[in-house]
Amino acid sequence: MFSGLARVKGSVLPGVFIALGLLVFAFLLFFTLYTAQDSRTTPPIDSRIYGLLKFTLYQAFLSTVLSLGVGTLLAWSLAHQPGFKGRSVLVALFSSSLVLPTLIVAFGLIGIFGRNGWINQIGLTLFDYSFGSYLYGLFGILLAHTYLNASFASRSLLHAFESIPNEKYKLAKSLNLSTFQRFIYVELPALKPTLLSIGSTIFLLCFTSFAIVLILGGSPAYNTLEVAIYEAVRLDFDIALALKLALVQLAISTVLVIFSSNFRTGLGNLKTDDTVLPWREPKHLHYIQTTVILLFAFFFILPLVVIVVDGLDADFGHFFKDPLFIRSSITSGIVAVVSSLFTVIIALFLSDAKRNFTLEYRLGNSMFSRFFNLLISFSGNLYLAIPALVMGLGFFLMSQKFEMPMNIWSVLALLTANVLMSLPFALSVLGPVMQKTAQRYDKLAFSLGLTTLQRWVYCEFPYLRSSLGYVLALSFCFSLGDLGIIALFGSEDFSTLPWYLYQLMGSYRTDDAAGVALILLVIILSVFILLPKLFRSRLAENN
Amino acid sequence: MIKIIYVLLLLTLVICSNEKPILTIYTYDAFAASWGPAPKIAKAFGQENNCTLKFIGVSSSIGALRKIQLEGKKTKADILLGLDTSIAQAAKKTGLFAPYDLNTSSLELPVVYQDDTFVPFDYSFFAFVYDTDKLKNVPDSFEALASMPKDFKIVIQDPRSSTAGLGLLLWVKSVYGDKAGEYWKRLAPHILTITKGWSEAYGLFLKGEADMVLSYTTSPAYHIMEEHKTNIKAAAFKKGHYGQIEVAAALKSSTHLILAKKFLAFMQSPAFASIIPTTNWAYPVAKTSLPKAFGALHRPKKMILMDGEKVEAERKAIINEWLNAIQK
Repeated sequence: MFSGLARVKGSVLPGVFIALGLLVFAFLLFFTLYTAQDSRTTPPIDSRIYGLLKFTLYQAFLSTVLSLGVGTLLAWSLAHQPGFKGRSVLVALFSSSLVLPTLIVAFGLIGIFGRNGWINQIGLTLFDYSFGSYLYGLFGILLAHTYLNASFASRSLLHAFESIPNEKYKLAKSLNLSTFQRFIYVELPALKPTLLSIGSTIFLLCFTSFAIVLILGGSPAYNTLEVAIYEAVRLDFDIALALKLALVQLAISTVLVIFSSNFRTGLGNLKTDDTVLPWREPKHLHYIQTTVILLFAFFFILPLVVIVVDGLDADFGHFFKDPLFIRSSITSGIVAVVSSLFTVIIALFLSDAKRNFTLEYRLGNSMFSRFFNLLISFSGNLYLAIPALVMGLGFFLMSQKFEMPMNIWSVLALLTANVLMSLPFALSVLGPVMQKTAQRYDKLAFSLGLTTLQRWVYCEFPYLRSSLGYVLALSFCFSLGDLGIIALFGSEDFSTLPWYLYQLMGSYRTDDAAGVALILLVIILSVFILLPKLFRSRLAENN
Repeated sequence: MIKIIYVLLLLTLVICSNEKPILTIYTYDAFAASWGPAPKIAKAFGQENNCTLKFIGVSSSIGALRKIQLEGKKTKADILLGLDTSIAQAAKKTGLFAPYDLNTSSLELPVVYQDDTFVPFDYSFFAFVYDTDKLKNVPDSFEALASMPKDFKIVIQDPRSSTAGLGLLLWVKSVYGDKAGEYWKRLAPHILTITKGWSEAYGLFLKGEADMVLSYTTSPAYHIMEEHKTNIKAAAFKKGHYGQIEVAAALKSSTHLILAKKFLAFMQSPAFASIIPTTNWAYPVAKTSLPKAFGALHRPKKMILMDGEKVEAERKAIINEWLNAIQK
């Protein structure tokens, strides 16, 4: 066992240290809160909270099933229609859903599906019939969650589809399998690890959903635990209750993380080769797949069109001259660049370390492998385990304990929150690729005795390049659009674009707010579509 | 040599005396915004008292209070500005605020307001705002509101996160008393959605999602003056409107307590009053000539306002009653 450890020391240590650091941070956070609570007795978690919890679990389950279902259908269609015009742009666009600021997405969806949305307006003009306010309630929550997560899932699932060797398809063809049989015997086994790991991430995302649930939920019956925490902190200023609720959320997330880290990502999502299968899909399948892609593209793009149309009304000259707008943009930009770099580095180290404990010939068979595997998985998913408000509060209390200028604390809090927020996704993208390269090149690399650095340069990097571009873009946009933690720290001195947008909305300036939303959307989409392309084209040159 | 030191000392003295004191005010973000009242107030008060005003905008007034509570005695805030009377009592209980003897005789308020700590600086009335082009049959009471046709929808704010939402709850409670829960049950089918803050609710209304939104009687003034639109109006309710009086107080821990109290007094001056209407879209508490657009507004004859102590004592129960009533 020790000889095994020596061989992979360079890849185990950094990641394990980072994971431990993150866990210590989480512990500090909770400890700070624990010491800050009042001595007065807190109300016990009442039946209302149990009700919330029950509904939230139900909602998150439905959202996950829907997102995975739609995502799989979409990925299946895209995988079998490699010649679809604009396919690569669509794929990039779909995966941007995850990083679009949720409030902006909610308003975009309302513009289409709302009571006064395009669907109802068309219904009224053509048939003199309106569907009314069907959007608000469980339907709206599920719709928005599917919008945000199915498109994200489809990207990872598409990679899983593309990693299926052509030989398997050829075999399926020669065995004359039906489409359904082909899916069950050839495709599903390849999708399974991705489905499970993405599924648990989506579940946690929907479980902690905040802005969407509030604006589209319609009734407090549809609130999530996050809302209860918000109430405890903001209205009652009951830190003890908030802590209690945060622990409930922590417990649920822990169970899920343990559950999902059980699946060893055996089959990596590495694209095998680019040779297109020599035969085409049968005509009827071709129609179905094209329709699915088109339908989803419409579903996805229309709300974005609404954001653009609304945004064009804004008086751009007015806020381009506003020094606060310029300052906010600069702050947002810098924070986003720095946090995306941090995210990539941390994610690389974590997934590098993690594969040691999942691959049997490395340390996978050692006693502690399960423990370390969990440790790393959990540290990467901290953001989903700790409610954003609790994290903000913890940071704020820490900033009171340890004297440092407020601006440094603000930057620190914002960076940490942004990095933690992007980590689960960064890991789910990079992890499988790292796993696969290890499976492929370990024997060669170990026999050549490559150093850790050499290994990075010659083995990992060429394969990671396109994923790196994606992760960079992802965490850049995440950081750009986040409002969560800034709420406690933001001020005129330290303001970001989402903060500026919210300030505009709070003082009747809805048109200008829509303009800022448009600017955010344009930045996010262009970064999201261009950055991975940049990385991908270089890879093509290299090979 | 001594001469040089003497000159240097004198110089530093001059420089030090030139250093203006900085008065830090925590408030909600819209107040602190560059287009809000803050810059103009800072200019007016700063020139008069040779000091610098620094406004720190937090996402909401309750948020600003919580920030001060978290910072405790170390807070940099000299003044907290922007709470309303229904939450001010909770703030007073923290014991962080300095007493202030308010001269109520100069106040232009529709109700008698007396408090030994918090000082009012503007007020408005909660009201349901609508679009005259779209809504013809305008409800004039809560009863009329609940008996509107089935497809009539309103947007309100969550009382747990928004002062406007809490205001509506207190309004209904004042009108219906023990029957408030029963009323909410009747109103529930008309509630399209409940948002976290005023901003989202008003945004939904402007997008045409709801027929009415809970806002202020003074909201239409913004649309008249900034957008030259006269179709946004506040529905007049016969039995009066619940008021929102915004207040400010100085912190005990302030190092510029005298200056802070000077600012609290300044809030009742005509100079302050002239800034409020067109930047915070509310009525000032001192006499001033209001802009023309304010003449077109519905100004309720009666302001309903629950006693702050009572609100503080019953808030939790009122919110729970509301939650139980509207959860289907």
